[in-house]
Amino acid sequence: MEMVVVAPPAPGRLEDLRRRFFATPLQAVLSLACLTIMVFLAWKLLNWAVFSAVFTTSGGPEACQAAAGACWSVIAARWRIIFFGLYPYEEQWRSALACVVVVVMTVLSCIPVFWTGRRIALVWGAGTALFYVLMKGGVLGLAHVGEEAWGGLALTLFIFVTTCLVGFPLAICLALLRRSELPWISRTTGLIIDGVRSLPLISILFTFAVVLPFALPQWLQGDKLYRVILGSALFFSAYQAEIVRGGMQGVPTGQEEAAMALGMRYWQRIGRILLPQAMRNALPATINQFVISFKETSLVIIVGFFEILASGNAAYGTGEWRFAYVEVYAFIAFIYFVFVFSLSRYGAFLERRMSISER
Amino acid sequence: MISGNSTEPGGPALRIENLDKYYGTFHALRRVNLAVERGERIVVCGPSGSGKSTMIRCINRLEQHNGGRIAVLGTELNDDVGNIDEIRREVGMVFQHFNLFPHMTVLENCMLSPMIVRKQPRAQAEATARRYLEKVRIPEQAMKYPGQLSGGQQQRVAIARALCMQPQIMLFDEPTSALDPEMVSEVLDVMVTLASEGMTMICVTHEMGFARRVADRVIFMDSGEIVEEAPPETFFTTPRNERTRQFLSQVLDH
Ligand SMILES: Nc1ncnc2c1ncn2[C@@H]1O[C@H](COP(=O)(O)OP(=O)(O)OP(=O)(O)O)[C@@H](O)[C@H]1O
Ligand SMILES: [Mg+2]
Repeated sequence: MEMVVVAPPAPGRLEDLRRRFFATPLQAVLSLACLTIMVFLAWKLLNWAVFSAVFTTSGGPEACQAAAGACWSVIAARWRIIFFGLYPYEEQWRSALACVVVVVMTVLSCIPVFWTGRRIALVWGAGTALFYVLMKGGVLGLAHVGEEAWGGLALTLFIFVTTCLVGFPLAICLALLRRSELPWISRTTGLIIDGVRSLPLISILFTFAVVLPFALPQWLQGDKLYRVILGSALFFSAYQAEIVRGGMQGVPTGQEEAAMALGMRYWQRIGRILLPQAMRNALPATINQFVISFKETSLVIIVGFFEILASGNAAYGTGEWRFAYVEVYAFIAFIYFVFVFSLSRYGAFLERRMSISER
Repeated sequence: MISGNSTEPGGPALRIENLDKYYGTFHALRRVNLAVERGERIVVCGPSGSGKSTMIRCINRLEQHNGGRIAVLGTELNDDVGNIDEIRREVGMVFQHFNLFPHMTVLENCMLSPMIVRKQPRAQAEATARRYLEKVRIPEQAMKYPGQLSGGQQQRVAIARALCMQPQIMLFDEPTSALDPEMVSEVLDVMVTLASEGMTMICVTHEMGFARRVADRVIFMDSGEIVEEAPPETFFTTPRNERTRQFLSQVLDH
């Protein structure tokens, strides 16, 4: 005889709400109170940001200041400074294009089709070169713009991308050296990693930007921007190395033994067996580290660079818009949010994709 | 390098002389001697901790020995990386816990090493992989991931993966002891087939039925020594050593 199992009918939406929030009279009162507060706050915010806000620059700062809501005209009037910093006005299209290049390059390398060594290298090599030529000029009839004039979003993106580009391979090298069988190698690497991690990023940036020129010969110094990027890449790699190492520890020793027994050489085992699995284990922490270092790019202010936050300061700091700093910061926060949120959504996509293949 | 000898058909498959292995101060293998001819099937048994795994892991240098000599297919196993690589290419190994690569499909597991170690073209590697998956009777699972298979199926994939390198010697380290009882026979069947085709095999196992059926010699180890070495009939009926008798009564009774 066949048994028919009938699942209990799923509770409806309303029934579910009632059970969750209105189970007892006290709960009902609390739920209603919270709801009221939330609606009130949401209305206030919406009213400030949209209904009473000023969006056009026609009235100038005065009309804006008189309004009850947000003064988005400051963005309309000053967005170029926020995005491009001190980059020469007529050349700012180049800076915009460079930002697009970075975004396209990042998006491309997030697509699984591009996950072979050669394609990734091609995308990043070509992308970075294009970015550099666009920003710096001096060739192809583009006017030369020195690094000291770079700024705004373009500079933030440039620092972030190059930090990861240099820092990530460095992190993998450090993690591999740290698990070396030769004690003096693993100990020294451990010392370097812990040393760098025990220093505040600010002090590293300061050292690389200001102190290093005294210690290095002229030809080794390079531009201040690249020294700063090197410093921040070093900092990134120290943290990321520990994340990668943690991921490696999660790979059972049997995996490497099986690879050895199949005749694979050291780099084949690392590249095909150990790292792919270690990076999977390390993915959530890695995304987190990317987010952190994206936000930490703002620290380059202290060594005199006009990345997006500093450009924001400049945008409202020139007298007439001085009152509108909340709007400027809200706008910059929104830009940060767009980048960080896409990064974490992408991380979630990757985790989903991998859990499908591993089950 | 004595690499030229490895293709020579006549020489012994494996020669172990006075092998010593220490873990720190612990003496895990004590002057072990063993010679295996081509096409011979050896079963190694013994109580837990007696050094069975250690011995067969020395053969492909998963463990480094501290004294004595090992020559595999005429190639001396020493610090020469070229020799180690050559020996590992010719010696397949199957582990207790399968050790399949979880981030690759079954087919990719089987194709990877032939492609990157033996430099076979993809099409050839795939054809070989499919042939061996057929042989271990799971051709339909080729596109699945190891995590989606049962223990017995995973172990058969592991055997196929090792065979895809077309090794001359196969090492098995307790290939069935991590399996549920009902899956043991499907793996043993594959091993029996392999043995009947003339593969040189060294199997650490407690499956005495398997030893009776296919072994040319059974080797009993205890405390890092080879205590007894005999054809299965002699080994099971008239063991000479007291420790062997004890061990056999434990294994066969339960
Ligand atoms: N990496 C190691 N470090 C220290 N001691 C070890 C190591 N591997 C094995 N040993 C010791 O060496 C001895 C032999 O171990 P081995 O794994 O070869 O035993 P075995 O015969 O395979 O046992 P089992 O049947 O439990 O697998 C054991 O006493 C074990 O504790
Ligand atoms: Mg063992």
